[in-house]
Amino acid sequence: MAVEVSNNHKQQKATERTPRILVFACKWCGLIGADGAGRKREPLPPNFRVIPVECVGSVEPDAVIRAFADGMDGVIVMGCHLGGCRFNDANHAAFKRLELLRALLEGVGIGRDRLLVTFGTAHEGHQFTDVLRNFTNLIAKKESLDTSWTSSRARMI
Amino acid sequence: MKNITVFLCTCFDEINRVVDYERLCSHLSDDPRVAAVTVSRGLCVSGGAGEIGASVKSGDGRVLIAACSPLARGDQVMRDLERAGVPAFRRHLVDLREGCAWIHGNNPAAATEKALDLLNMGLTALEYKEPSADVTLKIADEVLVIGAGPAGMAAATALARCGVDVRVLERGAQPGGMLGLVSRSYPDNTDPSEKIAAFRDLAASDPRITFHSKVKIISARGYAGNFTVRFTAEGEELQAHAGAVIIATGGRVFPPKGYYRYGEVREVVSQIELEARFRKGPVKKENAVFIQCVGARCEERPYCSTICCPASIKNAMRIMDENENARVWILHRDIMMPGTTLEAYYKKAMERGVRFIRYAESDPPRILGDEAVETVEVRDDITGDRRTIPADLVVLSTPLIAGTDAEAIGDLFGIQRDSYGFFREIYPLHPVETRIDGVYICGSARWPVSSEQAMVQGEAAAMKAAALVGRQTIRASEFSRVPGAKFGHARVNEDTCSGCGNCAAVCSFDAIRLQRRSGEGEFRMVSRVIKVRCKACGNCLSVCPNGSMQMPEMNTKALYGMVGKAFS
Amino acid sequence: MKTQQAMIDQAKSLLKKLLEDGEATAVFGLARGMGGVTAPRIFTMPDELDSLVLEPKWPLAKPAMEILRTAPGGYRLAVVCRGCDERALVELIKRNQVDADALVMVGVACSGEQASICLCDRPYPSKLDIGEAAHGVDPFDDPGVKYLLEGDTHTRMGRWERVLKRCVKCYGCRNSCPICVCDPCKLEGEPWVRRGIIPTEILSFHLIRAFHLADTCVACGACQEACPAGIPLVTLQHAMRRALREGFEYEAGLDVNEKTPVLFDFIQAPEKDRPIPDWINTLRD
Repeated sequence: MAVEVSNNHKQQKATERTPRILVFACKWCGLIGADGAGRKREPLPPNFRVIPVECVGSVEPDAVIRAFADGMDGVIVMGCHLGGCRFNDANHAAFKRLELLRALLEGVGIGRDRLLVTFGTAHEGHQFTDVLRNFTNLIAKKESLDTSWTSSRARMI
Repeated sequence: MKNITVFLCTCFDEINRVVDYERLCSHLSDDPRVAAVTVSRGLCVSGGAGEIGASVKSGDGRVLIAACSPLARGDQVMRDLERAGVPAFRRHLVDLREGCAWIHGNNPAAATEKALDLLNMGLTALEYKEPSADVTLKIADEVLVIGAGPAGMAAATALARCGVDVRVLERGAQPGGMLGLVSRSYPDNTDPSEKIAAFRDLAASDPRITFHSKVKIISARGYAGNFTVRFTAEGEELQAHAGAVIIATGGRVFPPKGYYRYGEVREVVSQIELEARFRKGPVKKENAVFIQCVGARCEERPYCSTICCPASIKNAMRIMDENENARVWILHRDIMMPGTTLEAYYKKAMERGVRFIRYAESDPPRILGDEAVETVEVRDDITGDRRTIPADLVVLSTPLIAGTDAEAIGDLFGIQRDSYGFFREIYPLHPVETRIDGVYICGSARWPVSSEQAMVQGEAAAMKAAALVGRQTIRASEFSRVPGAKFGHARVNEDTCSGCGNCAAVCSFDAIRLQRRSGEGEFRMVSRVIKVRCKACGNCLSVCPNGSMQMPEMNTKALYGMVGKAFS
Repeated sequence: MKTQQAMIDQAKSLLKKLLEDGEATAVFGLARGMGGVTAPRIFTMPDELDSLVLEPKWPLAKPAMEILRTAPGGYRLAVVCRGCDERALVELIKRNQVDADALVMVGVACSGEQASICLCDRPYPSKLDIGEAAHGVDPFDDPGVKYLLEGDTHTRMGRWERVLKRCVKCYGCRNSCPICVCDPCKLEGEPWVRRGIIPTEILSFHLIRAFHLADTCVACGACQEACPAGIPLVTLQHAMRRALREGFEYEAGLDVNEKTPVLFDFIQAPEKDRPIPDWINTLRD
């Protein structure tokens, strides 16, 4: 089938690029975890960028979609443990929303594992490095994500 | 527009050891948004923030600081900038030390690339950040205390002593709450009616305390500093305008229906019924058996009610006082007597000869007898022996559960309740505060506590309320969990809002209200943000389908801009 | 099984009674007019109902909302609802777009044939007045849905790419959706329509459109029917509808008082059956 052929072509392109990972980290836990990793000077792959947010509640699902549209291969959303949110239960609200987005991403073939929603506390800095390394490995094993295609009409315009 | 001044901190060569600052500088000075780039050795020690603030204060200047993480010294620099008059929307911090140099020390080229991206992200965010409009509120002088049990009485007394006007609303005819139901309070063994009488006298004599009995609350609205509560007191409709509300509505005793043949055989009573007997006169019994954890620490109510063990020990000794030949057993699953006083109390009971037998939850005691209780059969969980105890009185210790009106009160004021119906304080470490600023909780409405602890909590809540109403005015931005941490509040674009109500539903702080659009015949709603309540978590903007809800300091444009520049 | 004519007769007498009793100011349904053309119509007089028909399927929820928006006070509209119309109206009531008091829903059952065309698992309204409920179809049994939703993600991404590339960005899916009500829509301006890139990335467009309806989509299929390029848009929704059903036992549009799990019922401690990923457990087997 024609589709599968074009996929193979893409797979070759995939392996050449290191995965790009975007981290939305909540200021109260995720960011402190990142800070903890930094203070230990743990060597980390430089393929991730952290966007600090006040709370994972403010991570719009649309912003995650935007991240994939802008060429990210994976997105991590890091918040506080349930019951540990500075904003009452905003983290669980975010979790439910993003779970649904994961279902959509799985449906459309991006794959639910490219969006990781995970909760931790500020003292779990060593785990930040673990999460990041494991996620990078997981994404690196996958084919590169190409969402840059537009409609066939677009090219004619 | 060239309005962004960039300050690059080298952190005494900690950062530029890895990141190529020359490249950063040349890249930044080419950027059309950047007015100037300054490299500094240590922004945090030179006290430079004040100077930075002064230099960008005029006009629309914005500052991008590239330094260490906010947890190290970054936040301190930001706070200095705040003090120097640079508000949150005009400053941005980029973490180049913990977030870049220190973790990518083995790859300087990639670290420099990353630093460039991070700076670009910061510039884009600064380009789009907007200020949230702050509001200043007047604060009403009065504090409303709902419930005149031990917690409410203590709160009202403390407030009156501080010179704060306080209005107490009590559902019953008299103050006292659960204190009025017990014969003696533990561990001091005093008659609680003295405390109630003292409060009644104070309420009558102190002009600062207004006491209303037989109160039914009709409605409550408003926010910190301005609560309006309508209620009826003895049938008369009244209104209170309060700056803060203390909720001390207490709990109630779980009735032991269906446990240990309660109601089937005589002389099987609940702890609170025993208290009533004591209040009537001496209770002379030969063999009394107390059974602990009746309907507590089970699947439905896994919590420990904390007051039943001390109460049983108190009443066990009282029975011994009234009949020196009486024998008393306490059948328990664990004796919970924490702290120095209660532990001493427990020891005293053992010395007096109260017998403690531990039973297992899986093998509870059995009540034997036809009309009245005759014996109690129990398996000692420690020795494994099965014992039959003669009994002419069995007392069932049941836990406190949420009050009957907890749900209504919670809904009126927007306070959340836990899965057992008790009011929930906010996490972490704010024991008497709720998610609604200006509404405080204390006593058994919050969690089962003894009268002594309820009083302590009442006083704590009173001090929180006094700290609020002691001020004349307050800015909405001051309502923050962490001082100085709130950076703005949500703003709704009323022209584009479709009134779907997603934001109002998801708000964790009950800060968004749906209102009918005025001046239009159509059935259309619009949301309004109560700025005082908003804590800027951003949940609302995440569920807004068309971006009508924005957090000005981190709006969609800024966020998407940062996403777009992440790997540029 | 009742014949089509018997159903129409039943509907006519029921609706006439509504108008005569003053229960409704008007009836909104389909009418066969001059030259046999069928179109939606507002019936205000009982006699006009003679031209009422029930077929074909025509999404009536959105026009009903528009009628009610500009209606004077005290106006009550009876709407002839299929299952999906009813569910869409319920969602609109939940989202404060329709005044529930101004609405009378008259439920009509769909035929089994219609259900298999729509891949509808619930081809009847909860309040069924006319006809008999037919058996629903599980959309996940459909080979077309399976082709796009089941199997290796990368292969499916290619399949979706081929399907979605047909999009002409006419916004027909959005306009026909009974639940899309925002004005302006997020997909009309910055930052989603980027300057110099016309149109927006197709994938983002469809992901955003689909996600904004995540917990409100009633799978009526209006978007799909409106699409000139024949993109199976409801299939995207099925993925999320399944997640909601499995994770939260929730389905959109069933009950006005049922609250969506996306906006309500947040917890502060992990529950037994619903694990929350903690960092410590993340990505470890």
